[in-house]
Amino acid sequence: MPAMPQRETPEAGQRPALGGIGLGLRWEFLEEVLHGPLHEVAFFEVSPENYLGRGGYYPDALERIAERYPILTHGLTLSLGAIAEPDPRYLSALRAEVTRLNPPWHSDHLCFSSAGERVLHELLPLKFSAENARRVAERARRVQAFLGRPLAIENITYYVHPGEPEMTELAFLRSVLEQSHAHLLLDVNNVYVNAQNHGFDPYAFIAALPLDRVVEIHVAGHQTLDSGLLLDTHGQAVADPVLELLEWTLERTGPVPVLLERDNDVPELSELLREVAQLRELQGRALRRHAERHARSA
Amino acid sequence: MQEALESALAELTLGPELAEGDAVGIAAWLARHRVEGPDARALTRDFARLLVYRKLVRGNLREALRATMPRTLARLDSSFDRYFSEFLRVSPPITRYLRDLTPQFLDFALPRWASDPNVPAYLGDLARHEALQVELAALLALPKDHVPAELSLEQGVEFIDAVRLVHYTWAVHRLPEDEDSRVLPEKSAVSLLVYRSPEHDVRYLELGPFAQALLSCLLEERLSLQLSLSNAAERACLPLDDELLTRAAKLLADLAERGALLGKSTPHAPAAGNLLPKAHNPA
Repeated sequence: MPAMPQRETPEAGQRPALGGIGLGLRWEFLEEVLHGPLHEVAFFEVSPENYLGRGGYYPDALERIAERYPILTHGLTLSLGAIAEPDPRYLSALRAEVTRLNPPWHSDHLCFSSAGERVLHELLPLKFSAENARRVAERARRVQAFLGRPLAIENITYYVHPGEPEMTELAFLRSVLEQSHAHLLLDVNNVYVNAQNHGFDPYAFIAALPLDRVVEIHVAGHQTLDSGLLLDTHGQAVADPVLELLEWTLERTGPVPVLLERDNDVPELSELLREVAQLRELQGRALRRHAERHARSA
Repeated sequence: MQEALESALAELTLGPELAEGDAVGIAAWLARHRVEGPDARALTRDFARLLVYRKLVRGNLREALRATMPRTLARLDSSFDRYFSEFLRVSPPITRYLRDLTPQFLDFALPRWASDPNVPAYLGDLARHEALQVELAALLALPKDHVPAELSLEQGVEFIDAVRLVHYTWAVHRLPEDEDSRVLPEKSAVSLLVYRSPEHDVRYLELGPFAQALLSCLLEERLSLQLSLSNAAERACLPLDDELLTRAAKLLADLAERGALLGKSTPHAPAAGNLLPKAHNPA
């Protein structure tokens, strides 16, 4: 990454003050968010790739929405785990965008989405190996320094492990986080989907994560194929077992912002706001139990 | 291993189809990418699930093209699959922004469609027309505090960035927006000025011969206003008289009012021979 000037890496210790339930901002309901009443949504999250280097209506609208709601940025094409260095033009544009929107952290995925110059526009799994963990962590540190704000790394769904794993997914994720000092964006639906597809206990998986590093949680819907394989589609309401896992997780993490993702078959905003309200209730219950736990332990 | 895996998965997702039961093909694919030993055995064992990624990658890319050119893809119907597969294999995506996939695809496909008798002759124009809307909608705009300068005969004319002069052989811009419509366009050479309004709407102006010639001189050839007027009159076989000058003034004033024309192109040039009193306040 020769184009990245070195800056002081932000500390990934204290959680920035942001909580509640947020919603992925979709162009399908952007007008309603912009011109409608102030909704009970703690924040909106955007994929900067949809706004980088472009003019016109959408960046203009986003700027105005950012005056009404906090905005988080969640990237799709950093390709953190690819062998090739990230495109410096992309990184510069990304830095300009996160500087403009000023989210408390920027997030992207623990995956690769490019192969040399070819960009695949899908989150592909890395081999769980010590060498990959070291390489990805080193790059995450440099990206974090370049962006000038904390980086949160999201655990992805993987439908097959690429090759013979040298360690478990849990050990791989932990190793990347430890070496990179990055935050964790914990996608609870991804944990559930992986647990079903690969046969492990999602509760044990989450319990073994460094939960003090979690700055944000994602939830979304998934689809079950005829073959039994679960696909992370973001095209349905969040499934009940994922909601249960989320509540259990929040009881252990404490107040962490939760994002509802819906990227396919996007319903009316009113329907999504109902889901947001349900999640808010769930979060309230979990945080009350979290407080009780703390009181007991104190 | 990561480098080998990247190239193997890129071929698997973007390249020719490799069937689940094709043991020889799978072995050759792994060998081509130097994936060996336990990794090769694991990928062979899990090959069916690996194919999920082929479906996901291609689905995302296909949807990005469909979103920008819905009518073109609908009219191509099953022929699209062949061109899409060839595009991914020969000229795979190199952009991190899905909105930039369409121009890359059209660079690849338009010359091939032109020589394919099974692809309707008007389809290239329709694809360009649909893609242009997305391109102009997303172009970076000039700073909002731009101060329009008065036009000058000796200088060129400055337009906004989000403006294009396009020429079609078929009147595809008059086709219904309905994706299911199979109405054929009229074969008629047309020139359009396509621009993004201050309200961010992409708008089209169908141009007559003189307006087309004038805007071609100003926008494409970047000639001075004076030279553009005389060249355009000559190309349209019209005398450059008061009537024509009035028409030109009205056209440019209209474009200024629409927010497509900003003023003269050189800010420090002498302001002699103004054609319009004020670019944004036409008389």
